[in-house]
Order: sequence, then structure tokens, then C-alpha cells
Amino acid sequence: MVPFSHSLLVAALLFGMGLFCLLTRRNLIMMLLGIEVMLNAGALAFVAASLHWQQMDGQAMVLFILTVAATEVSVGLALIVALYRRTGSVDPDPPADRQLAAQAGEGGV
Amino acid sequence: MMSSPPIEVVLLLAVALGLPLTAFGVIMTLTRSQPRVSAIISLGAIAVAFGASLSLLIAHWGMPTPLVYEITWLVAGELPIPLGVLLDPTSLLMLTVVAAISLLVQIYSLGYMAGDPGFGRYYGCMSLFAWAMLTLTVSSSLIQLYIFWELVGLASYLLIGFWFEKWTASEAGKKAFVMTRLGDTAFLLGLILLWLNLGDLSIAGLNDPQVADRLSPGQLTLAAVLIFGGIIGKSAQFPLLTWLPDAMEGPTPVSALLHSATMVAAGVYLFARLFGFFSLSPAVMTLCLAVGTLSMLLAASMALVSRDIKQVWAYSTISQLGYMLMGLGAGGFTAGVFHLTTHAGFKALLFLCAGVLIHHFDTNDIFRMSQRGSRRQRLTLVCLVIGAAALSGLPPLSGFFSKEMILAHLAVHAHPFWLAAGLLGSFLTAYYTFRLIFVLLRPAAETPSDDAEGHHHSEPFGELCMAAVLVTLAGLTVVLGFGQGALTHFLSAAAGAPPPAPAHHLGWLPVVVLTLTGAAIVAAWWEFARQKRSETGWVDRFPTLATLFARRWYLDDLYRWLLDRVVYGGFSRAFTWNDQRVIDGGLDGLGQTVIDWGAISARLNRSQIQFRLMVLFAVVAVLVLYLAFA
Amino acid sequence: MTVYSLLFYLLSLLTLAATAMAVTRRHMVHAVLYLVLSFFGTALLFYLLGAPLLAALEVIIYAGAIMVLFLFIIMMIRVEKEDDRFFPFLQWWPALLISGGFLAGLLALSREDLVRQPGMTVAQALPQVFGIHLFRDHWLAIEIASLLLLIALVGVLHLSRRRRADAIEEAP
Repeated sequence: MVPFSHSLLVAALLFGMGLFCLLTRRNLIMMLLGIEVMLNAGALAFVAASLHWQQMDGQAMVLFILTVAATEVSVGLALIVALYRRTGSVDPDPPADRQLAAQAGEGGV
Repeated sequence: MMSSPPIEVVLLLAVALGLPLTAFGVIMTLTRSQPRVSAIISLGAIAVAFGASLSLLIAHWGMPTPLVYEITWLVAGELPIPLGVLLDPTSLLMLTVVAAISLLVQIYSLGYMAGDPGFGRYYGCMSLFAWAMLTLTVSSSLIQLYIFWELVGLASYLLIGFWFEKWTASEAGKKAFVMTRLGDTAFLLGLILLWLNLGDLSIAGLNDPQVADRLSPGQLTLAAVLIFGGIIGKSAQFPLLTWLPDAMEGPTPVSALLHSATMVAAGVYLFARLFGFFSLSPAVMTLCLAVGTLSMLLAASMALVSRDIKQVWAYSTISQLGYMLMGLGAGGFTAGVFHLTTHAGFKALLFLCAGVLIHHFDTNDIFRMSQRGSRRQRLTLVCLVIGAAALSGLPPLSGFFSKEMILAHLAVHAHPFWLAAGLLGSFLTAYYTFRLIFVLLRPAAETPSDDAEGHHHSEPFGELCMAAVLVTLAGLTVVLGFGQGALTHFLSAAAGAPPPAPAHHLGWLPVVVLTLTGAAIVAAWWEFARQKRSETGWVDRFPTLATLFARRWYLDDLYRWLLDRVVYGGFSRAFTWNDQRVIDGGLDGLGQTVIDWGAISARLNRSQIQFRLMVLFAVVAVLVLYLAFA
Repeated sequence: MTVYSLLFYLLSLLTLAATAMAVTRRHMVHAVLYLVLSFFGTALLFYLLGAPLLAALEVIIYAGAIMVLFLFIIMMIRVEKEDDRFFPFLQWWPALLISGGFLAGLLALSREDLVRQPGMTVAQALPQVFGIHLFRDHWLAIEIASLLLLIALVGVLHLSRRRRADAIEEAP
């Protein structure tokens, strides 16, 4: 089987991608998606550690991560829907800041 | 001690205890809407149960040691809760008495309750009561006894409020339930105290004199007093006596069965059951004597002025239960239990006679009854007179023997004061009983109109049932007194019972008692029966006194005051305040705090979330690098 | 290189590629679909690393429930294309820097030769064994997790309750 550090590396890359998504997307739903990826990366690291030390506590922790992820998604999405009902947008920043950011980032993609 | 009973005993018991329960279940689930079927099921069950208990009684007539048979019902922690039976002379006697009276009353109800819309429900409740009461009498441990004690209370509640569409009836049911519950709470506390200290609640174990060594005197007295509280509630003794007169709102057969013959006697029965235990605490025995005496005199005084026939019998029940407690409190185990047995018979008789009269004349008022011609109900009145004579203690009826036995015991073993009180009570009893009899015997003032009686003619079969039961009970009342010797011997054979008291034959006592009774009867005749009768009792000449008696010594007003001031004004208000201010207010405050903190932190975190996240992760990344390389 | 290792690397590659596609899509439905693929890959990785129950849960909860929830919401609120844009390009570089920093940190933490390391022994936590372990040693945490779910349920109900003001706003 592969070394422990290789699976950790995969987890770290996944985490980085999630973080990237969280920080760069101007859309709350995509940010939430990024958080999911990060949580998933954490779960992968736990499973790998569980195998490495031959202890099931790591897997138990993954179960709790799953619970937290489900909770976080449902509450987060509900918040997003509430926000959308109120402002009609899913932008993380209020309109005033949005203009500011638009001025600052001329090179926005 | 622990001898497993032979198989036929188990079978008989199973029949006696299981059938009424089955009947209850079947009636309540299946046949409630079919009165005839329900009555047959219930009657069949109780008849077989009666047969079984009678054969048990006969089979164990000369039983040397009590039979105990227990199985473990469930285990709570380390405490096993047993379910079992304890067969000794006391329980066998009570078992038979309960089964017999239940059977008779159920036969009687065929006539009395005929045509009632709740006929099926009535028989269902009666079966429930029969099951609970029969099981209560043979319970082997106090836990089991307590459970069935409460079930009996439930049956009582259901039957008092049987005509629940009547406001007073449902109120009376609630009152009875709550007041007995007050006593039961004390009972339960006593049980817990005993359980904590002894770890064993079997009746045989508690009657062991060694209990005194394992409990400190204070604990022993406390536990005994608490259990005695349960007895006070159930047997309607002072100060919890006012529920019983109100319980007369139920159907008359119910009053006869539950509220005179059997259920209220359960309290006295419990005292007899734990006689060995109570004997260990002289203070409680004195308390029992005092409570018995007080209730006896109070209730007798209330009966002096009541015009309601059922109320009179209800007061007299309290009074007679007081007598039993006096006898037991003075150490007269046999006397108390014997009076319990005879009282069950003649008081049931009195109530059932009253039921016939009420049914016929459609009123509870004795004066109205006599105006409408109660004199013409010959059979009923003969039975009523027999019962009344037994209640007053006239020879050769059963009441004479048992009451004389209690008084003799008081004379020998107790302070003369108690004897004097007992004699006074006996005088009052005879006076109020014969006051009622003489009033009923007066010639009718008005000719009965046909239509007044027309709709009261139930079918002949029902009349026959009622008459047959009355005659049977009257016969029992006449005969039972002569069984004194045999019963005394039988009861003394119980291992847990104290050794039989040497026969005190006080030649002067019966003479005194009979003189007093005779004087009371003459007084009643003088006021209510002679040609130039005054129609007013001596009590009525003192309006204050009469009001005092009629209003039950203002006990109900005292309870109402206590309830308003202490419970509603004190506890309720305090708890409401606690609920609104402390609990609700606390939670609201907690929620408000969270909201406030949320508002503050929201103010700190407004907009630019991704910049903030970026900073956050940057700091974490630097920290990681630092920790990795430093 | 055993079959296990080969499978591991293949699946890792698949997962990473799918995730990379997911986080860069402009169309959110595409992003979610790529992410489902990524989660499938992760689930297979879990299985490979000896956690069959978790693999199943990953598929059911992540790929099933959570992603479907995302799809629902995306279809419900119909975001215009203009709003769905990346963060200003000027600020990409700090994000890249930080992600890279994390990566460097994690690699540094291992601080060992990445190639010549002993492989992990293969093992598998049977679901029943795992369940017994879970309910014996982590029962309190399970209870807390269930409480958390309950709180989330209540919270979502509260949040999604339409207030009168909203109803007026939404009634054109």
C-alpha cells in the first residue's frame, strides 16, 4: 500500500483547492462548495491516519465530520436562500462593497 | 417459612384473582355496549372467585403457618420487586368477605342499575374493583399492596363519578381521589423510608419483632406514622374524613361495596396486616387509638343531624371504622378484625336497604321517604331494622358480639378515658340509628299517587335479585355473631398474630352497654315515634351545635381555606412566579444574551468576508510554518 | 507497486482533477456535477483505505444528499451569470500564495523522503466492528452529533419560515 504521507499529500491538495474556491469565488454557494471540499479533505486525512495507526477512532471522527458537514450545508443554504429572498443576490458582500471591489479589481475575470 | 404452596392452592388463587381481571378486560374492550353479556361475564367471574376463595378458606381452616408464594416481578437495580401472595387467616378471611360482598352487591346491582345507559361500564368497573381488592388482600409485600391500594382508589374514583354527567358526582370523585391521595403520599414516603432502611417490604418480614433492632426508634415511629397516614386517607379517619360522605354521590351499590364494606376497610385491614409492626411503636398505637376515637365521635355527631339516609350510613361507616382502629390500637387484633368482618356484612345490608328505598321513593331524605309511605316497604324495613340493630349492638346480632369485644378490650387494656369515649360512641350510634328507623316507620302523611311510583317499577327479576340479596345479608348478620368463638380461634392461629388474649369476661360491661343502648333507643323513640312526638332531636334545640354537626365541624371550610390560602395563594403563586420569572425569564434572558452578543459580533464582522477569510488562513499558514520549522 | 497502490494513485488523480474542474467552473451546475465525481473518487479512496462503511456514507450523504441539496438551491434561486464571477484577479495571488504555503507546510511536516517510505499495511474496519466501537467508545459524541442535527433542523425551519414582509416582497 502507499505510504501515509502520500495520502496526506492528496488530502492537502484537496484542501488547498477548497481553500482556493472559498477565497476566490464571488458567490456564496460556490464558497460553501469550497468548504465542503475542505471538510472532505480533512475526512480523507483522518481515514488515512486511521489506517496508519490501525485505530478506528479516526474513522469515528470522519463520521462526526460528515454530521457537521450536513448540518453546515443545510443551515448555510437556508441562510443563502434567506439572503437571496431579501437582497436578490448571492454575493458575499453588501452592494456598497461590491462596487468598491469592482473598482479595485479591474482585471476581474 | 417459605413453603411453596401445593398446586391446587395456586390454581384456586389464579382463578380468584385472574377471572375478575379478565372480566374487566373483556367487558371494557368488547362487550361494554351489551349490558346483559357484561353482567353475566362479571357475575360469573366474581361467583367463581367467591367459590375459589371460600374453598381456600375451608381448606386452610386449621393452617399452622402462613403460606408465602412469591415470584420476582422485576429487579430495579439491586432491589427485587416481588409479586406474590401471603395466605394467613387474616387474608383468607378478608378474601372471602370481599368476594362474598362483591358477589352479593353485583347480584343486587342487576336490579338497581337496570336500564342505566352505563350498565356495561358499571360492571366493568366493578370487576376492576373486585380484582384489585382481592389481590390487595392477599398481597405478600407492601409494594404490591400499595399498587393495588392505588388501583382500588382508581376504581373508587371511577365508580363515585359513575354518573359523571352530574356535576356533584364528578366533583365528589375528584375530592375522594385527591384526599385519599394525600394519605397515600404519606404511605409511599413511609414505604420508601422502610425500603431504604430495611431493603425488604414483605409483610411477614415487617411483622418480625427483629425489625425493632434494625431500625432506630425514631425511624420506626416515623415510618409507622407515615404508613398510618395512608390508613387515615383510605379509611376516612380524622382529619381526612370528609371525602366519604361526598362519595355517596355514586350509585348506592357502589357505596355499599366500596365505601362501607370493603375498600374503606382496606385501611383498617392494612393496620391489621402490619399489626406486629405497629405494635413495636407504642406512640403510634396511642395515635391510632386517639385518631380512631376522634373520628368515631366526630362522625357519630355528624350523623345525628343528617336527613340523608346515605349520609347517615356514611358517617356511621367512618364511626365504625374508628371503632375498629380503637380496638386495634388498644392491641385487640382479633376484636378489630372481627368487627371488620361483621361490619362489612351489616353495613352492606344497611346500604342496600337504603338503595331499595332510594330507588323506590326517588329521594335520599328520610323525612320525605316516610311521608311517601316508606312504612309499606315491609321486607326492606325488616332487613333495615336487623341491620340497624346490629349496628347499635343489640344482641343476638353480629354487631353486638364484635362491638362488645372491642369495648371489653378497651376496658382491660386501655385507659378508662378511651372506654368512656367508646361507650359514648355506642350511645350516639344507637341514637342516630334508631332516629332514622323511627322516622322511616312513621305512618305516611300523603297517599302515594300511582304515577309517582309508576316509573319506578323495574322488572320483577330485578326486584327479586335485590330482595334475595337483602335476605341473605340479613341472615348473615343474624348468624355471624355466633361464629365469634370459631373465628377468634381461627384468627389467633395466625403465626404473625399476637397470642390470643385471655378471655376477659367482664360481667358488668354488656349490662352497661345495653343500658346505654336502650336509653338511646328510648330517647329516639321519645323524640320521633311516640304519639305526641316533638319531631326534633335534642341536638336541634341547640342551633349552633346542629349547624356545627351539619357542616361537619367546619372541616370542609377549613380545607377550603387551607386550599385557597396555602395551596393557591402560597404554593401556586410561588410556583407561578418561579415559572414566569426564573425559568421563562432565565431562558428569555439567555436567548436575549445570545442575540445581543450576536449583534455585537455582527457589528465586528460586517462585509468583506473573503478578505477576512484570507487573513485568517494566512495567519494559520504562518503558524503552521512556524511550528514546523521552529 | 502493488495493485492497491496503482488504484490509489489513479483514484487520487481522478479526485484531484475532478475537484480542480469543480472549483473553477463558472456554471454552478457543472461545478456541482464535477464535485459529485470528486466525492465518488473520495469514497473509493475511503474504501481502499479500509473504511467501507464510511465509503458508503460518503456516497449517500455527500454525493447524494448534500450535492442534491446544492442542485435544488441553485435551481431555486437562478443566479444571473454576471454575479457568478471570480474574485478580482489582482487578489488571486494571495490566495495562490496561501494555498501554496499550506502545501509547503504540510510537505514540510512530513519532512521525509516522499518516495522511499514504507507503505501502510492494508486493513479494513468491518461495519459491525466499527459500529460497536462507535457506540461503545463514542456514544456521547454520537448523542451530541444527533443534537447538532436537531438544532440544524430547527434552525433551518426557522430560517426558511416566510415572514410577512418577505411574502409582500415576493408577491409581484
